[in-house]
Amino acid sequence: MEFLGLSLALFGAALAAALSGIGSAIGIGIAGGSAAGVMTEDPNKFGSCLILQALPGTQGIYGLLITFFVLNKLGLLGGAGAVALTWNQGLQIFASCMPIAIVGWISAIYQGKTSAASIMMISKKPEAMGKAIILPAMVETYAVLALLTSILMLMGVQVG
Amino acid sequence: MSYVYTVARLRGMENHILDAAFFARLMDSPTADEAMKALGETSYAQWLSAGEMGFDKAIDAEILATCRELGQFVPDPELLVLFRMPYDFHNVKVLLKSLFKVRGGDPDGRRHDLLSPLGNLSTEELTEAIETEEYGGLPYKLGDVIPQCWALWDQTKNAQAVELLLDHCLFAAMLDVAEKLGVPDIVMWVRHKIDAENLKSAIRLARMNYDPARGLPFFHEGGTFRAADAAHLLAEPQETWGKLLSHTDIGALLNALADTDMQAALSDVSKLLDEYLIHTLEGARYSIDAPANVLLYLLIKEAEARNLRIALVCVAGGLNREFARRLLSHVR
Repeated sequence: MEFLGLSLALFGAALAAALSGIGSAIGIGIAGGSAAGVMTEDPNKFGSCLILQALPGTQGIYGLLITFFVLNKLGLLGGAGAVALTWNQGLQIFASCMPIAIVGWISAIYQGKTSAASIMMISKKPEAMGKAIILPAMVETYAVLALLTSILMLMGVQVG
Repeated sequence: MSYVYTVARLRGMENHILDAAFFARLMDSPTADEAMKALGETSYAQWLSAGEMGFDKAIDAEILATCRELGQFVPDPELLVLFRMPYDFHNVKVLLKSLFKVRGGDPDGRRHDLLSPLGNLSTEELTEAIETEEYGGLPYKLGDVIPQCWALWDQTKNAQAVELLLDHCLFAAMLDVAEKLGVPDIVMWVRHKIDAENLKSAIRLARMNYDPARGLPFFHEGGTFRAADAAHLLAEPQETWGKLLSHTDIGALLNALADTDMQAALSDVSKLLDEYLIHTLEGARYSIDAPANVLLYLLIKEAEARNLRIALVCVAGGLNREFARRLLSHVR
């Protein structure tokens, strides 16, 4: 039971990076399929398609950011050695990682779908690029809120 | 390939669909040469420049090329089979009617010029199968239904009855393919197509004052309303058809048609029904991965081909352009 707290915290950090990363990969894959379809007919739309395809990738970055926060909090970065954690503290860190893990995972997939729809939109109306970016960016809002929630929760956990 | 890719590519391809401005230009062309010159500036140019192909064959070539292109990336080839199946049955009708004439003593009865290249089966193979009576390898239960057509012809000498038998088989086969695909939108589209065909038959029979008691064989099962309900329409005034079919989607269309003189303008009804069939799939536009988008694109392309034929025949024949303009359907 000595390392239960540390294990829980690391498990949370791993989930934050893994789930949001999986979501981003799926979202980018969906948008990429759509971009490939549009570019087959009009290769000149590469620039617009690339921007829209990249949008669902941010959740993976947010998950990675939280993982770094956790590892830093646990003293695992910099070689100073891990701090001692009770199981209760470990569970608090685990819970802090969940907002970005879950919201990042699901929002990235839906953002990918919205990006795919926006890519189809610019294939017909290239002049609507601004609007096409705003639509998937609306989904991003909730990933950002989840990131903030995770950061605020992590800052509230007292360790060491 | 995924449907996300497919639908996005179709959106890109839709940019090449001829628009209202082009059709206006075509219809305003003073001569057939001018109209062909306008057509030569579109994707049809490659077929017009390939040999001595007339516009009719060029239009077929464009649709055929579209089907082949889609065949390279559409995940379910059955969608293309479904679209091309009516052309197969059209070809079977042409070949059977040709043989009826030849065996009836008309040596020039073969009208193979009416065969469409758009079917799933090659016209050469189909012609050989039907002329040699080797039907075993034919799909969609044609191997069973063609001998029945011959038996019916021998008994009745009624080519229309044979066509009806083939249409029954066509719609049953289309419904079968659609149900195997398992896409509710596609199944519904086939059912709406059967409804539209039943409605066209009802309007034609009503124009002929056909005996309502003998109307049932003209209607097909599988639509959203039963063949018996369609036959029942014949006994009622046309103004009440919308009310009688108000429980179906096509009932709303009939209400919209109430102001149209169905007796006078069967072509208008036909155009509205074609647009209705496209409209039933329009909901798929809002999905990034709905298979129905494939069929929707093909129907739009088919409407474009139909519109081109109307416009070019009108210009070449010096026909009434206002009337031809009215016949154009689904022009964006």
